[in-house]
Amino acid sequence: MCSADRINPLSELVAVDPLYSPMEGTILKTKQMTAHEKFFEIRLEGGKELGHLPGQFVIFSLFGIGEAPISVSSSPTKKDKSTFEVVTRKVGVFTAAMHKLEPGDKIGVRGPFGRPFPIDDLKGNDLLFVAGGLGIVPLRSLIQFVMDKRRDFGEVTILLGCREPKDRLFTNEIEEWGRMTDINYACTVDRADPEWKGNVGVITTLIPGVDIDLKRTYAVVVGPPIMYKFVIAELLKKGLSGDQIVISLERRMKCGLGKCGHCQINGKYTCQDGPTFIYSELKTLEEAL
Amino acid sequence: MSDKKKVRIAFFDFADCEGCQLQLTYLNLNFLGLLEHCEIVNFREAMSEASDEYDLVFVEGSIMRPHDEERVKKIRSIAKILVAYGACACTGGVNGLRRRFTDDEAKEIVYKDRPWTIEAGWPRPVHEVVKVDYYIHGCPTNNDETVKAVKSILLGKGYTPPDYSVCIECKFKENVCLFEKGQVCMGPVTRAGCGAWCTSSLNTCYGCRGLLSNPAEEGHMEILAKHGYTIDTLKQKFDLYNMCRLEAEKNG
Amino acid sequence: MRYVYLAKSDLDALIQHLKKSHRVIAPVKKENLFILAEVQGAGEIALKYIPTILPPKKYFFPPVEKLGSFKMGDEKMNSVNMETQPTVLFGLHTCDIDGIECLETVFHYHPADPYYKKRRKSLVLIGYECMFPCDEYATCVTMDTHNPKAGYDIMITDAGDKYIIHMNSEIGEKLIGTCLAVSRTGNDADIKFELRRLREEKIKKFKTILDTEYTEIHDLFKQSYKAPAWKDVGKRCVSCGNCTTVCPTCYCFDIQDEVELNMETGERKRIWDSCQLEEFATVAGGENFREERSERQRHRYYRKFCYSIDKYNKFFCTGCGRCTRACVADIKLYETLNQLKKETNNV
Repeated sequence: MCSADRINPLSELVAVDPLYSPMEGTILKTKQMTAHEKFFEIRLEGGKELGHLPGQFVIFSLFGIGEAPISVSSSPTKKDKSTFEVVTRKVGVFTAAMHKLEPGDKIGVRGPFGRPFPIDDLKGNDLLFVAGGLGIVPLRSLIQFVMDKRRDFGEVTILLGCREPKDRLFTNEIEEWGRMTDINYACTVDRADPEWKGNVGVITTLIPGVDIDLKRTYAVVVGPPIMYKFVIAELLKKGLSGDQIVISLERRMKCGLGKCGHCQINGKYTCQDGPTFIYSELKTLEEAL
Repeated sequence: MSDKKKVRIAFFDFADCEGCQLQLTYLNLNFLGLLEHCEIVNFREAMSEASDEYDLVFVEGSIMRPHDEERVKKIRSIAKILVAYGACACTGGVNGLRRRFTDDEAKEIVYKDRPWTIEAGWPRPVHEVVKVDYYIHGCPTNNDETVKAVKSILLGKGYTPPDYSVCIECKFKENVCLFEKGQVCMGPVTRAGCGAWCTSSLNTCYGCRGLLSNPAEEGHMEILAKHGYTIDTLKQKFDLYNMCRLEAEKNG
Repeated sequence: MRYVYLAKSDLDALIQHLKKSHRVIAPVKKENLFILAEVQGAGEIALKYIPTILPPKKYFFPPVEKLGSFKMGDEKMNSVNMETQPTVLFGLHTCDIDGIECLETVFHYHPADPYYKKRRKSLVLIGYECMFPCDEYATCVTMDTHNPKAGYDIMITDAGDKYIIHMNSEIGEKLIGTCLAVSRTGNDADIKFELRRLREEKIKKFKTILDTEYTEIHDLFKQSYKAPAWKDVGKRCVSCGNCTTVCPTCYCFDIQDEVELNMETGERKRIWDSCQLEEFATVAGGENFREERSERQRHRYYRKFCYSIDKYNKFFCTGCGRCTRACVADIKLYETLNQLKKETNNV
């Protein structure tokens, strides 16, 4: 028996608390979406439902590497309830390791965490989705949700922006949304390539052209930090109030439990009080945008 | 693990005292543990065999002369991963002080009237000559960190040394702050990872692990000045291990 | 009976009594400062001490805590052993007891922290009342933590020729109940009266060094977010992280995996972190949401005096003065607060 196996009489075996202990997930499907983004479909042990709502996130775990918070990209209304989907961008040690995973590989999952999009408030209203870059990933969960419960919502407009045409995610789905008659859809890129026939310019250029009913519209905006200020200014100019703008913020996260402190925006913990926020809530949160 | 192909590790030294390599011989059981996964194919401090295929290369020492430059470039070309090992390799170390002098001045100080027979060169940390993948800082390196770094590299996640101050590790050990005792310490602006080795051993921090990525140099100078040190002494404190970097920053 | 006497010469007898069932941790001298460490007898204890380098939080929420062990390639974490030896923390100042109350609040707040809860159960708190201010850096008077109020099992007060022992919990009563060294000659009402008189005398020695009243602090912070003081503090701060490491109420942590040399097993750990460090709020993509030292310092102060009130209705500053003592750049908490007060008055 080596020394590590010896039980200290003054110590206790502490059962691992589910708060910190990951569930076992199996990767069913992967797809390299762009040079840096990869899609994963994941099934929890026994096909257990994740039980999330649009806007929430999970914390993935790979022992030896660590953990990382990732937004869920599929809707809980998805037909196959035993799986959920995410898209990760390879930016750090964890996502680099995760990108090496292929179908059949396992990954630890904690969650879901965070406050979802305010679905009850959105119901019965017109929705204006504004997604910049990777912002489409969490927003897709809500868009799919709305599509699956189409009658619960009013007019739907989707505005998408990304750097270049090759950076677009979910191209097939997006084209399908574009073909649908009951949604309005526009896409723009910062820099076009020779094949690109669509709009060129930052996403804010799409907003003035959108026709919205100020009385019954909610804008849901997700994108990189730099985008919010400009898009929100444009929406306010358009006449929406702060209560009608919903956003989702990214912060560093470790525990997901409102303890470790990394994700704090002033007094709020993004992992528990967010990541979705109503813009009017942010007026007292100077660090938010 | 034993049936897996072992990682082939090599050590090469340049201008240095070989003290960091010597540290490795104190690894004892940890060393044997590492040998489960690694095979050392070139290590002058402990063996003489040489090989030409390297998964992981540790470069110790600063790069001084033109032929050192050629040699390290060749090493880079046959190394899958290159680690700058020890202060001389990571920051230029004390060799950097040579940059304070012209060739003539250096000659005067070191050789005086005797003939100058050794080519001196210009001290550079390894990354000024070839691409460095990972850094293990210290003068000498700390074995706990070395083991941690090697494990991390073997896991495929690489190794990033802490970018916070030695104070963090020093406070974890509940040391009485050296400033409290009227001594001068480079801890607040120096990169942690050594476990506050010196300050926990009745010594002061000389800053051997190099400055933080964004050190509050002015703030720290102010602190030291408040403790009665002259600008010259302060400059010497900062220069001891950071001459190359500070000079590079000065020259933009 | 909840109040008893202890002859000063019998302090060691009390320690020996506690040691029968508990490990005893108490303040001991380390060079010119103090730390909490295990003691074998009263002779080792420094009863007159300025707050220890690290606060008692190291026993509730250790600098490095194992969350679980793992096998590489697995997804589920396995249990780890946690030391839960029954332990008495002896001689705690009332400010530190308040600090423990803060940790209590955070770690019990939903979702409650399982590791903290486990550890807490094995710890008994015995306070030692401060009859003198410890030094010029403490702001305990303003933070109203200089008198024993709650949160301890036993409080010991120096009553001149003897100690008064107040048993404030069932655990406290049980521990003292079997102690032969104490004298049960007094009655609760008399001893309580004696304590009140002692405290009336004691308070004369405590002076506040803050220009702000307890009740005004939260408002002061509500108005001070853009105060010039933060720039001044930021300019001097070197981000060494001392202030948060030594703070009795700072609880931020990082989570890291450590793999054994066999490269097959390892442990997931949480390690004290600090909002003052460069990378604390940096996301994988590289964006740092608190890039400036002034922003990080402001965040620290707001976590003590504003956000904690908003969320837990409790100040997370105990007035212990550790951050001021530990600051290599001489940033003094009371000076910052006084500067804020001056700046808001000028607006």
